[in-house]
Amino acid sequence: MKIAFELNGTPVEVETDPANMALSVLRGECGITSVRGTCGIGLCGTCTMIVDGKTTASCLMPVGALAGRRVETVDVLNEDDPVIDAFIEANAVQCGFCIPAMVLTVRKLLEDNPKPTDDEIDMALAGNICRCGCYAKIRDAVHLAAAKGNPA
Amino acid sequence: MSTAWHSPTTREEVLRLRAELGEDGTLVAGGTFLGVLMNNGILAPEAMISLAHVEGFERIARDGAELRIGAMVTHRRLEFDADIRALCPMIADTFAVVANPRVRNWATIGGVLADADYASDPPAAMIALDARVVLESASGRREVSVEDLIEDVYQTVIEEDEVLTEVIVPLDQSAARYRKFRTRSHEDRPCVSVAAVQASGGLRVAVGAVAGKPQIFHDICALAKGRAMDSGLAREIGTAYAERIDPITDARGSSAYRKRVIAVEVRRALEDLAA
Ligand SMILES: Cc1cc2nc3c(=O)[nH]c(=O)nc-3n(C[C@H](O)[C@H](O)[C@H](O)COP(=O)(O)OP(=O)(O)OC[C@H]3O[C@@H](n4cnc5c(N)ncnc54)[C@H](O)[C@@H]3O)c2cc1C
Ligand code: FES
Ligand code: FES
Repeated sequence: MKIAFELNGTPVEVETDPANMALSVLRGECGITSVRGTCGIGLCGTCTMIVDGKTTASCLMPVGALAGRRVETVDVLNEDDPVIDAFIEANAVQCGFCIPAMVLTVRKLLEDNPKPTDDEIDMALAGNICRCGCYAKIRDAVHLAAAKGNPA
Repeated sequence: MSTAWHSPTTREEVLRLRAELGEDGTLVAGGTFLGVLMNNGILAPEAMISLAHVEGFERIARDGAELRIGAMVTHRRLEFDADIRALCPMIADTFAVVANPRVRNWATIGGVLADADYASDPPAAMIALDARVVLESASGRREVSVEDLIEDVYQTVIEEDEVLTEVIVPLDQSAARYRKFRTRSHEDRPCVSVAAVQASGGLRVAVGAVAGKPQIFHDICALAKGRAMDSGLAREIGTAYAERIDPITDARGSSAYRKRVIAVEVRRALEDLAA
């Protein structure tokens, strides 16, 4: 089946089984490797994409459900996005595996809530697991990014 | 062979597809439960019927003394909707503690009740609220209480030509509390959950995640009849629930552990109600 959607601002059309999960189609047909599969059960967050403005587990969404929708991955951000700068400045990265999803989730959080508290950060990132345990520094990075402000 | 994907936009179309496809047509709501089954090779649907674009399925409306919630209303909306918060805050409190924001963004009230997982939060809450669901098929419509909807783990009375279209919650409660007791991470499913509701018909206490379906005992709830809730009565009902339930053992707690937690959590929920 042909499935058309918008990916990071560009219209795309893929020919695939609609029951395939968005994760495998994004990584395969679409060549977007910043979405990463780990648990396949919605727990870890490394596969996070944004669909119509909402964070979404791409491992659980059949690609058929993306038809006509707006899909974003971390690749949509400019390289000088304040969230990316803040992660680097706060040294919030070890192996980096979880980071694209963290950055994307934080970008979304700051759009909804430009000055989140520690609790609000923890709530928004509950379900984004970092096996290197960078949580404290990631929280610092969120505050730092909040101080820098959202891009215009 | 490629899976057939249907994306109906009207109620009539969904019900017709459901009648035509029978058990070969899998309904997809948020997909958060189906996705897990499909990724683990437990389910490989021949045809999928998406409910995402059906007109009217995302409606929240007050209807006299009742609240009507469309099957496709997401957990996230129930968490934040101003009307829900004002009319029945326990609904918001319950849906707010399910899973993580990424799952709550898509998981729906219809999906969580239809999948009937023993360790979900909303079923116990909906039973304590005495909510009912509307089940529609091409040949008719019936209303079933959530208490009767869920038979056992992953088992409901929904027929293969039916769709759960709406959840109806009476708004006659004077106090309502949901408590979720977790033994692992913050976003995990409950080890024991307790929903306690004081409504015009009396007290309703449902305990979730401890058996194949939420446990409610009307005779024990009747102990509260004509008595003011205080710590003595809360303890009496908590102890009675713990004695009556034969809890399961899973990774979140052993049967013996759960029994003790049930007594404490039911007591606390009732003390919260009185506070
Ligand atoms: C990581 C993770 C953590 C979780 N943690 C929790 C938790 O802490 N507490 C909790 O309560 N739950 C938890 N859940 C479960 C989650 O709540 C359910 O997966 C979700 O509510 C299912 O809703 P859905 O809309 O995604 O359903 P779907 O996956 O789309 O569907 C579920 C089932 O119901 C059927 N169905 C869907 N809609 C209808 C309808 N309208 N009529 C008839 N049948 C229908 C489908 O065919 C399918 O069999 C968790 C899930 C994940 C992935
Ligand atoms: S791979 Fe999707 S949440 Fe873990
Ligand atoms: S930096 Fe290694 S998993 Fe987060």
